[in-house]
Amino acid sequence: MSTTGGGPKPAFYLVMFALVVAVIGYGVYRFKDRLPLGDLGSMSVDDLKKALEAPDDASLTTFKEYDKLKYQEAGRMPEVKGVSNYAPLVDNTIVFALNVWAGWAPIILANNGFEPGKVWTSPNGRTFKVKLTLIDDPVSMRDAYAAGKAHIGWATVDMLPLFLEQLKRDSRTMPRVYQQIDYSFGGDGIVCRDAIKTVSDIKGKTIVLAQNSPSHYFALNAMISGGIQPGDVEWKYTADAFQAAAAFNADKKIACAVSWSPDIYNLAKAAGNKMLVNTQTANKLIADTWFMRADVAKDHPYLAEGLMRGIFDAMEQLTTQAGKTAAAKLMATGYSLPEADALAMLGDAHNTNVVENREFFLNANNPANFQRTFETAYFLYRKVGALSGDAVAFDDIFDGGPLTKLAKDPKYAKQKNEYQIQFVPTTALSVQAESQEILTKAVVIQFFPNSDSIFKMVTKAVNGKTVDEMYDPNVKNVVEEVGRLAGQYGAARIVIEGHTDASMRSSGMVTAADVQELSLRRANAVKEAIVRKFSSLNPNQFSTAGIGWDRPAEASDANNNAKNRRVEIKVYPLEQK
Amino acid sequence: MASRSLFALRVIPPLAVRQVAGALSIAVILLIWWWLTSGATPEARVISPSVFPSPTEVIAGFPGLVSERNLIGGIAASLNRVFLGFGLALLIGVPLGIVAGSYRIVGAAAQPISLFGRTIPVAALLPLSLQMFGIGELQKVMFIFMATAPFVFHDTARAIAGVHDRYVDTAQTLGAKPRQVMSKVLIALALPDIYACVRTMFGIAFGYIMLAEVVDAKAGLGFIMLQSQRRGMPEHLVGTLFVISALAFGIDALFKFFQRGLFPYRDDHA
Repeated sequence: MSTTGGGPKPAFYLVMFALVVAVIGYGVYRFKDRLPLGDLGSMSVDDLKKALEAPDDASLTTFKEYDKLKYQEAGRMPEVKGVSNYAPLVDNTIVFALNVWAGWAPIILANNGFEPGKVWTSPNGRTFKVKLTLIDDPVSMRDAYAAGKAHIGWATVDMLPLFLEQLKRDSRTMPRVYQQIDYSFGGDGIVCRDAIKTVSDIKGKTIVLAQNSPSHYFALNAMISGGIQPGDVEWKYTADAFQAAAAFNADKKIACAVSWSPDIYNLAKAAGNKMLVNTQTANKLIADTWFMRADVAKDHPYLAEGLMRGIFDAMEQLTTQAGKTAAAKLMATGYSLPEADALAMLGDAHNTNVVENREFFLNANNPANFQRTFETAYFLYRKVGALSGDAVAFDDIFDGGPLTKLAKDPKYAKQKNEYQIQFVPTTALSVQAESQEILTKAVVIQFFPNSDSIFKMVTKAVNGKTVDEMYDPNVKNVVEEVGRLAGQYGAARIVIEGHTDASMRSSGMVTAADVQELSLRRANAVKEAIVRKFSSLNPNQFSTAGIGWDRPAEASDANNNAKNRRVEIKVYPLEQK
Repeated sequence: MASRSLFALRVIPPLAVRQVAGALSIAVILLIWWWLTSGATPEARVISPSVFPSPTEVIAGFPGLVSERNLIGGIAASLNRVFLGFGLALLIGVPLGIVAGSYRIVGAAAQPISLFGRTIPVAALLPLSLQMFGIGELQKVMFIFMATAPFVFHDTARAIAGVHDRYVDTAQTLGAKPRQVMSKVLIALALPDIYACVRTMFGIAFGYIMLAEVVDAKAGLGFIMLQSQRRGMPEHLVGTLFVISALAFGIDALFKFFQRGLFPYRDDHA
């Protein structure tokens, strides 16, 4: 158009008019209602049941081997197809991505720093080198791994389902998990304002955290366990945990933040703030692992065991002060941190030895094992709509071959499970006198009238035949759920409170002491069922109390007998020694 | 003559030829993309589906992008932020720029701040905006504002300063007062240049949307892209990129249309 001079053409006025109308319309739209936001949805007890149900035959042994995991049978692990597609191992060096985290101390120590130099030897005599590459951002790490630039990636178990959405598209990028590096032990935590006494107080409040991170998993898990729906909380998402801590610090309207050490401790120290819970209490909730590309694992079958041995051996070195100092020095260089900070960081994680790895991956009876952690993460992220595709089975990515071999190696025979809390038996009363509970999980168990057996069978007529059925078929799920909670909060006191309904109070023939005793027997029955099923749990972790009919589930609905016949599970911080 | 002169230096080919050339380059890129990402099995592709999606996967992902990922709401949310933030930058940057261009002493005083604002890396504004405006909607709007206002100010001041002295002299000779010189001469003559700057800056403001939506966005195009990255859905990521390009193209065409309508006496509209 090369018009020179003259006014605008009629079409111009037409479009101008249309634009004015559009702007007004837009304004009406904007102020009429807010933009549609994703609905977090609510969660019913039925959903919980479905996802948390794991078929299980109660067993009395502490360690129960899984029956048939895919790695145990040739050809059942997912096949690796096509031509391998990763950056070649230059000078036999594998690229291992890791983040800034205390748990990596063993491999940094074993490799004598980040740069390849030290020669690693696998049991069959093959040698290789390791280049440790710092990729803190999980998305960048996953993409570098998918592109084959990193042969090994890092993840907390709860992040694996999120990574798998992309990695499962190609059999060569499927992860192979061999080894647990650590449990977060105080490295992650939820900091709240003083007004938040327990998890249920967060209902209707704002919580800030990094989305799809261990923080997110920690918070979702605490909410669901504490009886709040994800939709009942205002979630604010930041790009990383540092930003979450900064946002909490800057905005007093935010009730809680989930972040990392050392930020959580600095925040908790400030006036008006407190640590609601951290992974010193929820000590088996967040587990770190590394995973190898399936095509790398196929081409270099000696790598996994070689790496595992080196890492396990360095873990033993790290039990000495000299080992810690040496690791801190190397971490300071690799992470660009002051050496003192690196040394202080080491306490944030508990490195898991061979025995603890066996307990984590191979004990079907462990309520906080790999399978349950992985599946809980799938369940929670599906509930908030962060995952949509088909789930990957845990034994499609777990290869237990090397671990099984190492567990039988006499070299590691004298190792013990050192991540067990010693609980002194105590009463519910003294636990409750000591501190405020972290969270309360209310579970309803229908008891047969006057019975304290939770596995009570009743005979029913079904289609003309008489069959024996559980009086409350939901009991198995309840035991599974509570066992999981006790496992995840492995360093917390669990108080089981039995409650009864008050249906007989008006008759005058039943006293408060009677129902109190019945409710105590019921609480004890629940405890027994849990420690029977999860024999790795310490019975002394649990205390029981009979409340009777004194505390209806909801004061406004005190005569709802079905709601009142219940058991409440309360999680308390361990008493300070 | 036609075929030879197409490759002659600085020769402008006919519109149809230019359009065909543009379409051809798109076709070539699509063809290369299709070739790199096709194969009977995921493993047979040159580029693995774990790394980059195929064109068909991107197209297949579109219905999900619209229904499940709330693409329309995302477009509305992002445009809303850009309009508010950039609108605010215009509201403040243009008048200040006019004053700074008219009174050089003001311009001299504003110069260092303007230079600082224009050279600060835009990613560094993110933590700054978080500190100052929290993590809510205000922060996203203010981020766009902070990223664009210094440029709007600077370009406006330069456009005003660039008006030739002879127009000012003529107006003053005819007895115009300073205020009249400003409105009838300086602003009137600089307006086409200011408009052109606004058009360019709007495109840039739109490009900042992903940075603006890093923190607690809940809706928006940048938010959809970040979520797709995090959730491992590259087909939605690439799909959103196309949507952003198409939107930017449409908005720019609208700007161009008005440029021609408002300033028909200028023929330098690119």
